[in-house]
Amino acid sequence: MSRAGESAAGPHGPRRGPPWVVLQAVLGGSLLALFLLPLYALFTYAPPGAIGAAAHQPAVQAAIYLTLLASGIAVLTAVVLAIPLGYLLARRRFPGRSVVEAVVALPVAVPHLLVGLGLFFLLVPGTPLYRLTTAVGLPVYDTIWGVVLVMVFVSAPYTVLAADLSFRAVDPRVVETARALGAGPATAFLTVSLPVAARGIVAGLLLTWARAVSEIGGILILAYTVYPAGPYNGPVTNTLSVLVYDLFQAGDLKEAAAVSCVFLLIAFGLFLAVRLGERSGWLPWGRGELVP
Amino acid sequence: MSRWSVEGLAASLERFELGPVDLDVGPGEVVAVLGSSGAGKTTLLRALAGFLPARAGRVVRDGVDLRGWAPERRGLGYVPQGLGLFPHRTVEANVRYPLELRGRLDAGPRAREMLERFGLSPLARRYPAQLSGGERERVALARALLAEPELVLWDEPWQALDVGARHELGGVFDELRERARVPSIVVTHDPGFAFSVADRFLVLKGGRPGYYGAPEGLLRSPVDAFTARFAGFENVYAPEALGRAAPGSLGAWLRELGGPEGVAFARPAVAVPGTGRWEGVVRSARPTPEGTAVTVLAGPLTVALRLAEPAGSARPQVGERLRFDVEERAVRRLAGAAGTEPGRAA
Repeated sequence: MSRAGESAAGPHGPRRGPPWVVLQAVLGGSLLALFLLPLYALFTYAPPGAIGAAAHQPAVQAAIYLTLLASGIAVLTAVVLAIPLGYLLARRRFPGRSVVEAVVALPVAVPHLLVGLGLFFLLVPGTPLYRLTTAVGLPVYDTIWGVVLVMVFVSAPYTVLAADLSFRAVDPRVVETARALGAGPATAFLTVSLPVAARGIVAGLLLTWARAVSEIGGILILAYTVYPAGPYNGPVTNTLSVLVYDLFQAGDLKEAAAVSCVFLLIAFGLFLAVRLGERSGWLPWGRGELVP
Repeated sequence: MSRWSVEGLAASLERFELGPVDLDVGPGEVVAVLGSSGAGKTTLLRALAGFLPARAGRVVRDGVDLRGWAPERRGLGYVPQGLGLFPHRTVEANVRYPLELRGRLDAGPRAREMLERFGLSPLARRYPAQLSGGERERVALARALLAEPELVLWDEPWQALDVGARHELGGVFDELRERARVPSIVVTHDPGFAFSVADRFLVLKGGRPGYYGAPEGLLRSPVDAFTARFAGFENVYAPEALGRAAPGSLGAWLRELGGPEGVAFARPAVAVPGTGRWEGVVRSARPTPEGTAVTVLAGPLTVALRLAEPAGSARPQVGERLRFDVEERAVRRLAGAAGTEPGRAA
């Protein structure tokens, strides 16, 4: 039986690695191929130069701006609301905790058209919430706030779940040591629990962002077109996902592929930058971890 | 420096009940807390630190009742099991932490001074995961001391240290006692360490104190098998083991001398060729700094002996018969009762 770390030159001559490592590589590689092949198809379908041209179109730029702004606000909302909930679930016992955990997982499972419908009925004109959101200057129909609302609904659970798991993994004795050495509960949270859990939480925030930018179902119902200047005022724009959907519906497949590629390049660039930043220690979270 | 008293302290953790525990520790003193796994040693430290609310009793520092005081206000140096190092901070940032919390401008220089004292300066920019066990222990100690504590709570220090590092850190402990006069409460499984530093021992058993008092008292009257073994008695027999002994045998004699928790005695010295009341068959013989350590089988009992003959003479062979004596005054009755050594220091 072969073991990990065994010499590359076995009794049957040199080989690339133990069989189970090869098996892992084959299985993992198959999944990577499944991820990459559709993307390869998109990039090859868009005519050369079309991706750059698409990126320079005002409509696409407005869609990129709207999508990044709305998803950014959704991620910030997750930081403010989802991390504390994850901490509560990880560290406190309270009646109904299992129910809360199930509720948190629900938005991930619900078809997103239903999410849009639910929010639509909740905020339909005449309801108290409609009056409230309008009164505080955050109307949701066909505004960026509608986009943000849908994005938070569908994406924040990833941050809650990641924060829950990450805070559970923080050794309570480390936090107690900080307390005994003079840190109050909030200081211990900010100087120890949060930084130690940060790497996992950031991974959750990345998933939140990714889920937010890729959302379409709920947005189609609540904010298909967005009036950046205010409700039903001035020119309209769409999120990138809705823009691609529109182009596809109009039969403009090459343009749809080109805009999709712009979208993919932005997402890939962000993910890669975060990973490289973590690996190099430039980003603070994850410092001190042993990376093989 | 402070004097701390624990008065009837009781706490609950899920189904585990601790206490009531009484102890006191004055400037420069060390109380060692002993007990088998699950006896409540760590729970006691956590209750003392204020992480577990006291169900009854109180912790008093220089006459001030600390009931209701948050852990961060108690003035502690705390080294938990696993050391509690902050994985995301460098060695220097770990050590600096307690002074940083107080906004002290000298936090950096004082931390570097402490690193120098502990031989940690070359490791200042490393993270805990990049250190050896001994280095990690030193960082935890340096950090606890830089907190300028009124009481140090140690949960099994020295666990990861080799013999050399233990010796080196023994000096740190001496300094704590003699120069800084900081009182300490130490949970330990290490008899050598405990007997070398502790002024008093508290033995916990099922959450309740089995013994509290001077080390001499522990040697004179260990309460149970755990304590007896900790104190260095190598021959410890539970009542069940003695119950099977034939009349007139060593086991029957020990049964008469024993208490409800059994009986214990240190390795008796044997001359070779031995003469004595009891006889056993040699099972093993190995050299030690104190002479040859021998185990013999005497009926159902395995007995540890020590050969008193000069070094260099022939070791007894396995299967050989050996005679030995056990002095009655050397046999300790394991009474098992909770109690306090009457002659303990106040």
